[in-house]
Amino acid sequence: MKRQASFYGYNLLADQAKNIPGRLIVLEGPDGVGRSSQIALLREWLENEGYAVATSALKRGKLAGKGLRDAMQGHTLGDTTMNLFYATDFADRLEHEILPALRAGFIVLTDRYIYSIITRALVRGADPYWLRNLFSFALVPDIVFYLEADVHTLSAHVLNSRGFDYWESGMDFLPGRDYYASFVEYQRRIQDQFDAISDDYGFHCIDANRSMHAVFSDLQEQIKHVIADMKPTQPPLPGAGDWRVESSGYGEDSRAEGGYAEGPGQAGGQGYAEETSAGEAPSGE
Amino acid sequence: MATLPDGQTLPGKLIIVEGIDGSGKSTQLDLLRKWLLAEGYLVAFSEWNSSPIVGDVTRRGKRKELLSPLTFSMIHAADFADRMERQMLPALKAGAIVLADRYMFTAFGRDVARGIDRKYVRMLYSFAIRPTISFYFRVPLQVSLRRILTGRPNLKYYEAGLDLGLSDDPYESFRLFQARILDEYDRMVDEFDLTVIDANRPLLEQQDEVRKIVAPHLTNVLRADPSGWREVLTQEGLHGRYLKDKFRGQETI
Repeated sequence: MKRQASFYGYNLLADQAKNIPGRLIVLEGPDGVGRSSQIALLREWLENEGYAVATSALKRGKLAGKGLRDAMQGHTLGDTTMNLFYATDFADRLEHEILPALRAGFIVLTDRYIYSIITRALVRGADPYWLRNLFSFALVPDIVFYLEADVHTLSAHVLNSRGFDYWESGMDFLPGRDYYASFVEYQRRIQDQFDAISDDYGFHCIDANRSMHAVFSDLQEQIKHVIADMKPTQPPLPGAGDWRVESSGYGEDSRAEGGYAEGPGQAGGQGYAEETSAGEAPSGE
Repeated sequence: MATLPDGQTLPGKLIIVEGIDGSGKSTQLDLLRKWLLAEGYLVAFSEWNSSPIVGDVTRRGKRKELLSPLTFSMIHAADFADRMERQMLPALKAGAIVLADRYMFTAFGRDVARGIDRKYVRMLYSFAIRPTISFYFRVPLQVSLRRILTGRPNLKYYEAGLDLGLSDDPYESFRLFQARILDEYDRMVDEFDLTVIDANRPLLEQQDEVRKIVAPHLTNVLRADPSGWREVLTQEGLHGRYLKDKFRGQETI
């Protein structure tokens, strides 16, 4: 059975999405909420279960990732230019990373999607109508998680890693030079925008003020439903896959037939997932 | 008047030229610019695909053939946005004459020829300033092809439209691609009220017409040389040898 893609508006990429057996899972949320850690954990878990997994993240596309990061380093980008730069990078990753992986039956985990780009543009005063149209060529994901945490949790995480970021603290447009005050205000505004678009885009909210393990368990529970009728491309590792017994869809039947899903994952072996997710690393010149 | 999409008028004048490759639009714009400078106006100039911030990505994408029709469209919109935000808009707010060699209509022609939805591309550029005058240099396809292809130049991959897969032969591909773009331009004449110049006539005849159309708009615009260096030179018997370095490229000396 063919899985048809659906898009938010313009079907500019419909030809590339006629049959996408994979699943697109999006983790959204502010700076410091722990998205990348959760993606690393989910990826390992799903691979242990025998699924082929690819990942993708903002500003990591082959075409425009480096150019966008360089331009942001210089702090000279105008708002509209930056939105279009982000859109270019996103379109490139959708066409060259996400859609090919979905066509090949991968589970694609993306660290942020169009929603972060939209909210960061909205707080800077962009035209909401234009923005939604601009990104309406985007594929509708199978599920979107929005990780929420209060600003104290966020700032603790940010300080524990690489410190406050110029753009993620809104230093480009908020008054004052105080990074912490600016970060707090910026994250408050971002959160308001996320809340405002949450229903439209059907976010699944996850309370990320809790332990990493509690968040991970929540994500696992919901993802199990998303992949319930999907067959792994490899047999699960010993000890993995116990949860599947009580879930619907997958089970003894398909295993008895001796069939895991056909696809490149089968032929390419374990290494396949690693290759296709090269977009995760900064692209070299 | 140049106007923002919300209808707000800007004090400067935005004059843009459009047309397929080989229509002679850049030559005409250059002649117009020299005339305006000689008349003492302050003229800012912006060229398609010339943003220093976005340019590296576009060049790399073209060289490595990484661009799809969609990303081709978007990266050019990003380039345009950067030039609009940092060059054209500030100059127009200051009351200058801004000349642009190609504008959003180039994207409407090329991107749609590449198969991007007409409405989408127009929406993409909806932030663009509405020009005071949009010249469209209309030329028959055979004439422009003869101008461009004489001497068998080396056509680049995207320039020839080879990414469309219309033909493996770069020259044939270029012909088919240009024909599609020409169709799109002809559609735009009424849609955007373009000022059509018959570009199949002698160069100076076209330039006369262009100047006649521009002249009535040259009121309340900034003039160059407010510092009066010309006066200093004549009165002091100096030649302005080192001023030439300072004003290089402005052709005012």
